[in-house]
Amino acid sequence: MATVAQLPVERARAPRPRAGLRRRLGADWHLGYLSVLPMAIMVIALVAYPFCYAAYLSLTRKYVGVPPVFVGFENYVRLAYDGFFRRAVWNSFVFTFASVGVKLVLGMVMALVLTSRIRYRNLFTGLLLIPWVAPTVVSALNFLWIFDASLGVLNYLLVKVFRILPQGVGWLSEAGTAMASVIFVNVWRGFPFFGISFLAGLKAIPGELYEAASVDGANIVQRFRHVTLPSLRNIIIVVMLLSTIWTFNDFAIVYILTKGGPGGATQVLPVFTYEMAFGAQRLGEAIAVALYMLPALAMVIIVLSRYMRRSHAR
Amino acid sequence: MKREAIERLQTTVAYVVLGFLLLLVLFPFYWMTITSFKTEDQMRSLVSMFWPAPFVVENYTQLLTKTDFAIWYRNSAAVAISSTLVATAIGTIGAYALARLRFLGRAFLSSATLITYLVPPSILFIPLYAQIRTMGLADSLAGLIAAYPSFTVPFVTWLFGSIPEELEEAAMIDGATRFGAFRRIILPLAAPGVLAAGLFAFTQAWNEFLYALVFISDVKQRTLPVGLSTFITGDVYGWGYLMAGAVLTTLPVIVVYTYLQRYMVEGLTAGSVKG
Repeated sequence: MATVAQLPVERARAPRPRAGLRRRLGADWHLGYLSVLPMAIMVIALVAYPFCYAAYLSLTRKYVGVPPVFVGFENYVRLAYDGFFRRAVWNSFVFTFASVGVKLVLGMVMALVLTSRIRYRNLFTGLLLIPWVAPTVVSALNFLWIFDASLGVLNYLLVKVFRILPQGVGWLSEAGTAMASVIFVNVWRGFPFFGISFLAGLKAIPGELYEAASVDGANIVQRFRHVTLPSLRNIIIVVMLLSTIWTFNDFAIVYILTKGGPGGATQVLPVFTYEMAFGAQRLGEAIAVALYMLPALAMVIIVLSRYMRRSHAR
Repeated sequence: MKREAIERLQTTVAYVVLGFLLLLVLFPFYWMTITSFKTEDQMRSLVSMFWPAPFVVENYTQLLTKTDFAIWYRNSAAVAISSTLVATAIGTIGAYALARLRFLGRAFLSSATLITYLVPPSILFIPLYAQIRTMGLADSLAGLIAAYPSFTVPFVTWLFGSIPEELEEAAMIDGATRFGAFRRIILPLAAPGVLAAGLFAFTQAWNEFLYALVFISDVKQRTLPVGLSTFITGDVYGWGYLMAGAVLTTLPVIVVYTYLQRYMVEGLTAGSVKG
């Protein structure tokens, strides 16, 4: 009881300047800053600083173990005329848009199947998610083996079992099929994330909406177009943007399956950057490659983080 | 009558499509597993394709005795576990502060963390490598343990975003201090969430490839994904023990995931993309 009585007195005696600090920095500034300090250090040391350093290095001629020499925009200008770089840019866009497009469709199919009247739904959901959690390197190696031209099971099935093809195809070694193959593997790995996200969204749609639509005479396609799609709009946008970032920057799949080959047919920017940096040892130019896409990437990130924050707060 | 027929048709279609998706998703894992029990001869002569006969375990014994696989396994475990502990501690405390405490710059920091989560490693790996080298951490597991929080901390923070606020307030009205409320109410309530966030961070660190590839060149310091990928650079691919390694690399993730599954459907998606 006594403590309660003392409380107002203590509050009144609080020194003025601190009260001002409190007003300016917020009520919990002590504990708040203390709690986020490690996180802030982490963000600065591991992301903000390296990022600025990268921007600086891209303006230099830099080799491993040698101090950088400032050259202005030379790296960027040279890249703009570099045929290999241009090809990698084009390939990256093809890889990204084709992958994201197919993942969108397959993910939607997966979500719709999992919300229809089937048994063991949780089990199937769990099984379908496995590609998303399995190590990417393992998946890429699995497909390297499946696509193998002479001993791979895909050719075995197509040639010996189903007799669709007269002879095996070098899925990863022929320019005509290599890109489609790496896109396939990226889709295989990524579509379950689309599916599971859409599934969560579908579950949140109130059943009355469908009932009302049915009463109004809407058939299944119309219900999908006018109820399902509009309700999933935000999720679709967020998932597609997230996947665009991830796919555009996917390194492991292309690196393991083709290393950008044959003859640059599947060369994408992350692998190109890696080879420029650790094959050719030209660090400055390599970072310029990575940063070339920054304006586009930054735009996607800003839009996406707005959407994500909005839905997170809800 | 007609309506029933349509519904039955819909269910049938759903099962057919589901079967196709399951085949698509599971076949590579089935193939990986049976390959790991085949002999080199079976693979070369395309016999006993879909079930190994004879069924051998020599790929596993070879992998564990004749390659550095066991060392890589230990390395991966060390890196994933330590970086996860660091990330979970920093991330959950940070997330709590961002969600509950009032201080200047909170909104900014919260955006910064999210943006950090979205900045791709393919931009950061070269400057991070330079930084790690200057600090003398190149070629050591410590370098990876230091670098992995760059993606695990934002991830944990993001996942751990929502804690029931009312409970904490109720505890404080009942006379608990902020710390007491955190320790007695928030922590026990949040424990499953912390665990889930930690396990997600673990799988991400376990699966990471690019940084591990770039920072480490010493064979004995490699982590599993990089180690496995070096099996394909030789002339002879040795698919048997490569697939045995793939199976053993996937196992811990699958175990963790079986526990996490209920969080994946509600937790992960609700946290990251709640509409």
